[in-house]
Amino acid sequence: MRKMKGNRLSSIVMHNLLIAVLAFIWLIPIVWLACTSFSSYSGMNTSTFFPKEWSIIHYIKLFQPDTVAQFPQWFMNTFIIACVTCVISTAFVLMVAYATSVMRFPMRRPLMNLAVILNLFPGMLAMIAVYFTLKSFNLTNSYAGLIMVYSGSAGLGYLIAKGFFDTVPRALCEAARIDGCSEARIFAQIVIPMSRPIIVYTVISSFLVPWMDFVYAKMILNAGISEKYTVAIGLYKMLDKSLINNYFTMFCAGGVLVSIPISVLFMIMQKFYVEGITGGAVKG
Amino acid sequence: MKLKKVLASALAAVTVLSSAALVNAEETINLTLWGAEEDQTLLGELVEEFKAAYSDVTFDIKIGVESESTAKDTILTDVEAAADVYSFASDQIYDLVNAGALIDLDEYAEALTMAGKTLDDVKAANVASSIEAATVDGKLYAFPRAADNGYFLYYDSSVLSEEDVASWDSLLAAAEAAGKKVGMTLASGWYNASFFYGAGFTTDLNDDGTTAIDWNGTSADGYTGVDVVKGMLQIASSPAFMAIADGDISNQLAAGGLCAAVSGTWDAITAQEAFGDGYAATKLPTFTVGDQQVQQGSVAGYKFVGVNGYAENAGWAVLLADFITNEQSQQKFFDQRESGPSNSNIIDSDAVKANVAIAALAKQAEFGQTQTVGGKYWDPAQTFGELIAQGTLKADDDAGIQTALDTLVEGVTAPLE
Amino acid sequence: MASEKKGAAASIGGFFKAIGNYFSGFGTAFAKGDAFVKLSALWMGAGYARRKQYVKAVIMTILEVAVIAFTVTFAMQYVPKFGTLGTVKMEKVFNMKTMKSEFNDYDNSFQILLFSLFSFVVWAAFIVVWMKNIVNAYKLQKMEEAGEHIKTFKEDLHSYIEEKFHITLLTLPVLGIVVFTAIPILLLIFVAFTNYDQQHMPPTELFTWTGFTNFLSLFGGGGLTTTFSYAFVRVLGWTLVWAFFATFTTYIGGILLSLLLNSTKTKWPKMWRTLFIVTIAVPQFVSLLLVRNFFSNGGIVNTICANIGLTGFLRDIGLVSTSYIPFLSAPGWAHVMIILINIWIGVPYQMLIATGVLMNLPADQLESARVDGAKPFQIFRKITMPYMLFVTGPALVTDFVKNINNFNVIYLLTQDVYTTTNQAMANSQAKEVDLLVTWLFRLTQDYYNYKMASAIGIIVFIICAVFTLIAFNRMIGNGKEEDYQ
Repeated sequence: MRKMKGNRLSSIVMHNLLIAVLAFIWLIPIVWLACTSFSSYSGMNTSTFFPKEWSIIHYIKLFQPDTVAQFPQWFMNTFIIACVTCVISTAFVLMVAYATSVMRFPMRRPLMNLAVILNLFPGMLAMIAVYFTLKSFNLTNSYAGLIMVYSGSAGLGYLIAKGFFDTVPRALCEAARIDGCSEARIFAQIVIPMSRPIIVYTVISSFLVPWMDFVYAKMILNAGISEKYTVAIGLYKMLDKSLINNYFTMFCAGGVLVSIPISVLFMIMQKFYVEGITGGAVKG
Repeated sequence: MKLKKVLASALAAVTVLSSAALVNAEETINLTLWGAEEDQTLLGELVEEFKAAYSDVTFDIKIGVESESTAKDTILTDVEAAADVYSFASDQIYDLVNAGALIDLDEYAEALTMAGKTLDDVKAANVASSIEAATVDGKLYAFPRAADNGYFLYYDSSVLSEEDVASWDSLLAAAEAAGKKVGMTLASGWYNASFFYGAGFTTDLNDDGTTAIDWNGTSADGYTGVDVVKGMLQIASSPAFMAIADGDISNQLAAGGLCAAVSGTWDAITAQEAFGDGYAATKLPTFTVGDQQVQQGSVAGYKFVGVNGYAENAGWAVLLADFITNEQSQQKFFDQRESGPSNSNIIDSDAVKANVAIAALAKQAEFGQTQTVGGKYWDPAQTFGELIAQGTLKADDDAGIQTALDTLVEGVTAPLE
Repeated sequence: MASEKKGAAASIGGFFKAIGNYFSGFGTAFAKGDAFVKLSALWMGAGYARRKQYVKAVIMTILEVAVIAFTVTFAMQYVPKFGTLGTVKMEKVFNMKTMKSEFNDYDNSFQILLFSLFSFVVWAAFIVVWMKNIVNAYKLQKMEEAGEHIKTFKEDLHSYIEEKFHITLLTLPVLGIVVFTAIPILLLIFVAFTNYDQQHMPPTELFTWTGFTNFLSLFGGGGLTTTFSYAFVRVLGWTLVWAFFATFTTYIGGILLSLLLNSTKTKWPKMWRTLFIVTIAVPQFVSLLLVRNFFSNGGIVNTICANIGLTGFLRDIGLVSTSYIPFLSAPGWAHVMIILINIWIGVPYQMLIATGVLMNLPADQLESARVDGAKPFQIFRKITMPYMLFVTGPALVTDFVKNINNFNVIYLLTQDVYTTTNQAMANSQAKEVDLLVTWLFRLTQDYYNYKMASAIGIIVFIICAVFTLIAFNRMIGNGKEEDYQ
C-alpha cells in the first residue's frame, strides 16, 4: 500500500515537472521580451540574454509622447476599437452558429457551402477592394471603417461555435418549443447560457484582432497621423530601419504593456472555464 | 482632338469664374505634408515659418508620418489619398512619375513667382547631380532636399590607418590582424551594384519600363562581369569580412565586433558611439578586378520633396515643397538632423566639411552615380548578392559565375507585367 | 469516394434545384395571379395594399423608390462604362489665379468596376425580393380566396422571432460578409480578366478587359518570367506541406497539453494554464518579430550557440556552411523553424479550444470506460479523440484553409530576413519559404501586379475548393450532426 502511494507521488512529481519544463520553454521569448524592455540601451542587444544595465527609462519614455511614440493615445484607440469589434463579432458568430446548428431552413446547406468557398479565397488579395469600398463611403482613416473591416465578415468564422452548439442536447430545445418558447427565447435563454466556454473563446479571439492586425490598419489609417494609430501600427513602425536603433527597447516595453491587460483578461476568462466545467458536469 | 478643345474651353470658363470668385472669398488652403518620423519636429517648425511667410493666406497644414524609404508603397496604393507634399528617396521617382503621383514642375513653375524665384533658381542652387536625379525624360519632378542617401566607409582609426582603408586587401588584412571584422551588406541590389558600377558597368531604364543591364558582359572600362564577381568573392571569402543583412549594420556596429563598415549617414551616431575617439569615415576602398585595383563605385541617393499629381492646391503645394527644400531649410536640416545638404552653398560651408560622415560622402560622391533601375531589378540582385555572401559561387568556377550572371540579367530584364 | 462525390454533387444539385423551384413558383404566381398580383410587378405594394397589409405596402413602395433612386443617381454613373472600364484619361491644368490644379472629369477604371459590381449585387438582391414579392402577393390572393386569416403586421413581425428567426439572425452577418468579403472577392475575380498592373494603374491610367490573356501567360503563353511555373509549383508545394504540419501539430499538441493540464495530477492547473496563455496574450507582431530577432543570423541564439560550440559542431558535421546557424535564413532550416515557432504560438490557442470542448465530454461514457478498466491511452483513443474530432472536425478543415492563407506567421518571420539563393525563384520574386498568400501579397504590394495576383489567386482557390468541399461534406454531410445530441 505504501509503495503504491510512493509510485503515485512520484508520478505526480514527474507530471508536474513535465508541465514546468514545457512552460519554461514556452516562456523563454516572453522573459527575453520583458528583460529587454528594462534595458537602458535603446537598440537591440545581440550578445547577452539579460541586459547589461537595467533601467525603466523606456517605460517612462512611452508615457512622454514624442512625435514617433504616442503610446497612451494608441492604447486608447485600440481599446475602443477592440471593444466594439468584440461585441459585434461575437454577436455575429453566435447568430450564424445558432441559425446553422439549431434551425433548419431550405437555404441552410447552400449558405454553409458558400461560406466554405468564401473562406478559401486568399483574403489578402481582396484587401485593396475592401479599402476602396471603405473609401467610397468616406470611412478610411476612421475607426468606424476599421471596426467594420474587423467585424464585418466575422460571421464566416462560425464553424467552431456551430460545432459547440451541435453538442447542446436537442431534447432541451424541443421541450422548450413544446412549452411555447419562441426561437428567440430558446436562443437567448437556453442555448447561450449553456455555451459559456465557446462564448469566452469567441470574445477573446475577436477582442485580440485589433491588437494584432497591422496590415489592414496600416492600409486604412493611411493619412500618417500618428495619434490616430492603433498600438499595432505604432509599434510596428518603430521597427522601421531608420528608427529601430533608437526605439527597439521601447518597442519591447510597448509589447509588454499591451500584453499585460490582455493577460489579465485571459485570467478572468479562466474563471468562466471553471464554471463551464461544473456546468458541463451538471448537464452530463 | 475635339474633346481636348471642348475641355480647354470648359477649363477656360472655369478659370474665369473661379478667379472672379476668389477675389472675395477668404478661403482656407488645406494642405497635407508627409515626412519621416524623425523629422517631424523640424517640419512642424518649417511649416510655421511657411505660414508666417504668407501671412495674408489662411492655411490648414497637416503633417503626417511617412518614412522616405516607404513613401512609394503607401502612395501608389492610393494616389488620391496621399499627401499633397511628401518626401521620398530618389530611387522611387520613376514609379511615382509613372503613377502620376508627381507633378511636372515646369507646368507649375509660375507658382514659384510668389516666392520671388524661378525654377532655374532651384536648379542652380542644388548640385547638378541631384537635379539630374530628379529629372525624368527631361522634366524636373521634385525638389532635392538632401544628398545623403548614399554609402561610404566608416572605420576605427585606432585600429586602421589611412593606408589600410585605401584598398579592400589591406583593409581586410589589417582587420584580421586586429581580430576584428569589416561589415558590408551584399544581399541588396543597392549595395552590391557598387562593385559593378565601379568597374564601369551600367544599369538603365528602357522606354517600356524594363531595365537594361550589362553585368554579364564586358564593361566600358574593359572588365568582365566574371572578374568583378571574382573580386567580390575574394572579399567575401576573407575571414575578416562579415556579410550583414540589409538594415542590420547598426546592430552589428553597436555589438562591437566591427572595425569598419560600409553604411550611410543614418548610422553616423551608432558608428561614433562604437568607435569612440577612433571614429572616422572616408570613401570606399579599391578592390581587385583581374590583376588591377579598381575604385569601388556607389549609388548616389537623394531625398526629394515632391508635389502630388492629385493635389488640389497644387500652387501652394509647390511653394511649400520649395520652402522646405530651400537653402535656409536645408541648413536647418543639417544643423538639427545632420542631414547632408544638396544645396551647393551649404555643401561648401566649413561646418559641412567638418562633419566626418558627410565629408566622406562628398569624397565618395565623385565615384557615385544615380541608380536607374526598374522594379524587376531588386529581387534577383539581392539573391545574387546572397550567393556571393554565402560563398555558393566559387571563385575558380568561371562558367558557374557566368551562368549566375546570365540568370541575373535574365531576371532583371524580364518584361513588365 | 463515391459517396463523397455524391455529397458534394448533391449539395450543388440541390442548390440549382432550389433555384429552379423558385423560378417556377414565380412563373405560376405571375400567370395565375389577379390584376393586383400582376400590378405588383410595377408597384410592389399593390398586392399588399389590396389585402389590407398597408404597412407592408408602404415598406415595399419605399424599397422600390430607394432602388430606383440608387439606380438613377449612382449606378448609372458607372454601369454604362462597365464594358470599356472608362475612356477618359486624367488631364489637368494649373490655374495661377486660384493656385489650384483643375482636373477634367476623368474615369477611374477601378471605381467603375467596383461600383458596377455593387450595383449588380443590389439589383440581383432586388430582383430576388421583387420575385418573392409577387409570389407572396399570389399567396395572399389564394389565402383570401380560401377565406383564411391574413396575418396582421404584428403577426408578421412576430414570425421573425419564430419560424423565420433564422432570417433575423442571418441578415446582418450575411450583409457584412457580402460587403467585406464577397464583393471584394468577386471584384478580384474580375480583375483577373483585365490588364490592371503597374503600367495601368488608376487613377492616372485606365485599365480594360483582356479576356483570358493572364491565364494564358500563366500557363506558358509567354509573359511573366520563364521561371514562373517553376516557382509556382514550389511555392504551392510548401504551402500544402506547411498547412498540413501547422494544422496537425498544433491540433494534437493543443489536445495533449489540455489533457495534461486538466489531469487530476496537476497541481495549480490555473497557474500553468495562465503561463501558457501569456504567450498568446503577446500580440503576434511583437512575439514573432521578437523571435525573428532572437533567431537571426547575428542574433542572441546564434551568439549562445557559437559560445557553447554548437555552431562549430554543426559545421564539422556539415549541416552548416556559414559562420552562424541560419535558423531563419536557409531553406530547410527555415522551414523547420517556422513550423516549430508556429507550434509555440499555436498550441496554447488550441489548448484553449480543447479545454472548452473537453469540458462537455460526456462524463458517463468516461465513467463507464473507467469502470470497465480501460487504460488512459485507450480512453484517449476510443472516447476523447472521436469526440474531439466530431466537435472540432469542421474547424480542423477551416484551420487547414486558414493555414494555407496564414499570412502573419510567414510574413513576420521571413520578411526582410530571408534571402533566397535560388536565382530562378528570385526572378519570379518568390522565396522558398513563401506561401502563396505572401507571394501574392508581394506581387501586389511591391509590383502592383494585381491582374496576375488575381489570376493566381483564382487557380489556388480552385485547387483548394475541390479538396475542401469534399472534406467538408464528408465531415458534416453524413448526417452525423444528430449523433451526439
